[in-house]
Amino acid sequence: MRVWIITGLLVGLVISATPVGAQEAETLRRELEQMRKQFENAQQQYQKAIETLSERLRRLETRPEPVVAPPAPPPPTTPLAQGLGQGQMAPPSATDILRPRQPFGLYQQRGTGQLLFDMGIAGDFVGNITQPNVDKANAGTFTGRENRFFPREVELALFGQIDPFARGEVRIEAGEETPGPETTVRLAEAHLTLLTLPYGLQLKMGQMRARFGLTNVIHEHDLPFVDRPDVLRVFFGEEGLSEKGAEFTWVPDLPFYLEALAGVFNGDNETAFGRGKLNEPLVTGRLRSFLELSDTSAIQFGASLAHGTTADRLRSTLIGYEIKYKYRPDGWLHPLLTLASEGIYSIRRVEVSDDTAVFEKRTRDRFGWYGHAELQPLRRWAFGARYDSTQYPVNPGWQWAVEPYVSFFPSEFLRFRLAYKHTDRSHRDGFTDNGGSARIMDELLFQASFILGAHPAHPF
Amino acid sequence: MRRWIFALFAIVAALTLTAAGAPAARKLRVVATIPDLKALTEAVGGDLVDVDTLSRGTVNAHEMEVRPSMMLKLRKADALVENGLELDMWVDVAVQGANNANVVRGAPGVIDISRGISVLEVPSVRVDRSMGDVHPLGNPHYSLDPGLAPIITQNIVDGLSRVAPEHRTTFEHNRQVFLGQLDQHMAEWTKIMEPVKGSKVVVYHPQWIYFLARFGLLEAGWVEDRPGIPPSPQHLVRLVRKMKDEGVKALIYAPWNDQKLATRVAEEAGAKTVLLAQMVGGVKGADSYISAIDYNVKTLAKALRP
Repeated sequence: MRVWIITGLLVGLVISATPVGAQEAETLRRELEQMRKQFENAQQQYQKAIETLSERLRRLETRPEPVVAPPAPPPPTTPLAQGLGQGQMAPPSATDILRPRQPFGLYQQRGTGQLLFDMGIAGDFVGNITQPNVDKANAGTFTGRENRFFPREVELALFGQIDPFARGEVRIEAGEETPGPETTVRLAEAHLTLLTLPYGLQLKMGQMRARFGLTNVIHEHDLPFVDRPDVLRVFFGEEGLSEKGAEFTWVPDLPFYLEALAGVFNGDNETAFGRGKLNEPLVTGRLRSFLELSDTSAIQFGASLAHGTTADRLRSTLIGYEIKYKYRPDGWLHPLLTLASEGIYSIRRVEVSDDTAVFEKRTRDRFGWYGHAELQPLRRWAFGARYDSTQYPVNPGWQWAVEPYVSFFPSEFLRFRLAYKHTDRSHRDGFTDNGGSARIMDELLFQASFILGAHPAHPF
Repeated sequence: MRRWIFALFAIVAALTLTAAGAPAARKLRVVATIPDLKALTEAVGGDLVDVDTLSRGTVNAHEMEVRPSMMLKLRKADALVENGLELDMWVDVAVQGANNANVVRGAPGVIDISRGISVLEVPSVRVDRSMGDVHPLGNPHYSLDPGLAPIITQNIVDGLSRVAPEHRTTFEHNRQVFLGQLDQHMAEWTKIMEPVKGSKVVVYHPQWIYFLARFGLLEAGWVEDRPGIPPSPQHLVRLVRKMKDEGVKALIYAPWNDQKLATRVAEEAGAKTVLLAQMVGGVKGADSYISAIDYNVKTLAKALRP
């Protein structure tokens, strides 16, 4: 009997256990299937991640190392109230600046065939046709090169970062200065700019075109007209104010744009100064501001100052104004309308003498200005005109000129320009070389300019 | 005269000190070169950043005129987000006039978001300007591909974290939230574009390749003769013939392209012109990164549908 009872219990247990076991197996199978799917999903995700990372790694390995601090490990989030700044690059201290550095440190990190600076060539060829008497007097817009076509400025520009703290720029120019097959090569600019000075300061030093007014700083091939405005050529000479020295700029942290500039130069410019000594330096200053009237129009204005000593050790001061307006309709690649004007007021001490002796020193106050308007209704064509009016810095008399022109741009890197210039001078004196006369001049000016390679973007 | 100079100096100095004396608990000031990067930086930075941009969605970002107002924005920036691949090289000139050590090349605050992007159309032969305004490093318009947003935003997280490492976790969290939203839209966009997959389109300027590749569309030609070079009549005749031969139904152009020319070419070829948002703000309603892509997807799909 006991045997039967035990057997019955066992059978009952087995029978009752069988569905439970089957349920558990089913559950286990489902879990296993779920795990398999999860594993496959994870495997796919990891595979994707590995592929993405491998590709990223490959690209990073083929690039030069960035000159940046590596990202710090993620610290715990801190309230915003603690402010920013831990990771910001602190302005270098005086000892940082003075500490010797490996000047070609970046060179070692370059990739194959990579230059560590930009280089570009700008070619500017001009020509003019004028009357024989103007040619004879050597008094045309391109003095001594009347009725000629010649390379005015073929410029090799090299520019880029010297190191994380400074930028360098070198411009070497070749051009015809006197008629003939010879061209003169000269160093037009070579300067470095310290970019990481504190308090919004920047220092540029070397040989440079001084930032006096709107157009003095612009090289010939970038001018918006064929020739440099008369007022600049009369007060600073054909090359403009190009000097050796240093310029400090300060952009204060204000709600509007203001740039203050102070410069110290040798004062080599023979037309305006000419002393060329640092103990009697040429000092310059400029204040420039800018107003964005809307998304499509803006105005820039400023005032400049240059004060130095002439070769005769007499004071010479020039004060200039500048103003420029541009209207560029939304989506246009070029401005539709550009209006600009610049003027210089010169206060200069001169020695008044006859042929034998010096009588006395006097002050000459002279003024000159120009106004310019350009309309560019089409991408390839621009039409403009400039009006010049200027007195002479020392001699009596004045001249005015009007110069309409048309520009054709087959592309961003190529430009042709044709202009007519009529000049009227109040006096014949000073423009009568070789028995010629250039009191009234009519000139046909033409220009072809091109850019090879890199060229910095044009400022406003 | 001297008194006037001193007075002017004192006023400027006082204004500077006032501006500089802002409270320490301020937002990170970031400047992005183009609106797409502004939108993506805002998505990553959230409330911790104040982002401004140097260009607008309706202009040609290749040829920006450097205005002093750009220098003013950069003067106060803690970080600069740039597209790279030579699209926004003009920013270097603006940086030089900004006198701000935070954003000069090589500073930790300069964030180049092209790192790690699989760049398309990298020239495999020697390039020169006879080919037009070519990009030797490859096509720089990758921000139009929403599929590249994870890489772009990762670069932004890394860059912002260099400047403000204490906020890295928040930046990463914001990025994940944004990518989650983008993923949802991506599924919808893929579905919308599925019926027109494989369609051929003509573009005005070669700036849509990333967008087209993402959704399986083919670029059959350009209105521009070569990048940046206005087309010659011969080129347009050839293009119209090609569009007819290959059954091209849409010509894509951006706000800064010549709309009249695009319309003329499309009409002659029996195709539709499609104005797309080349960047955030490029067309009305494309005010955010997601809405700009959404506009592009829906507009193009509608134009290509039979």
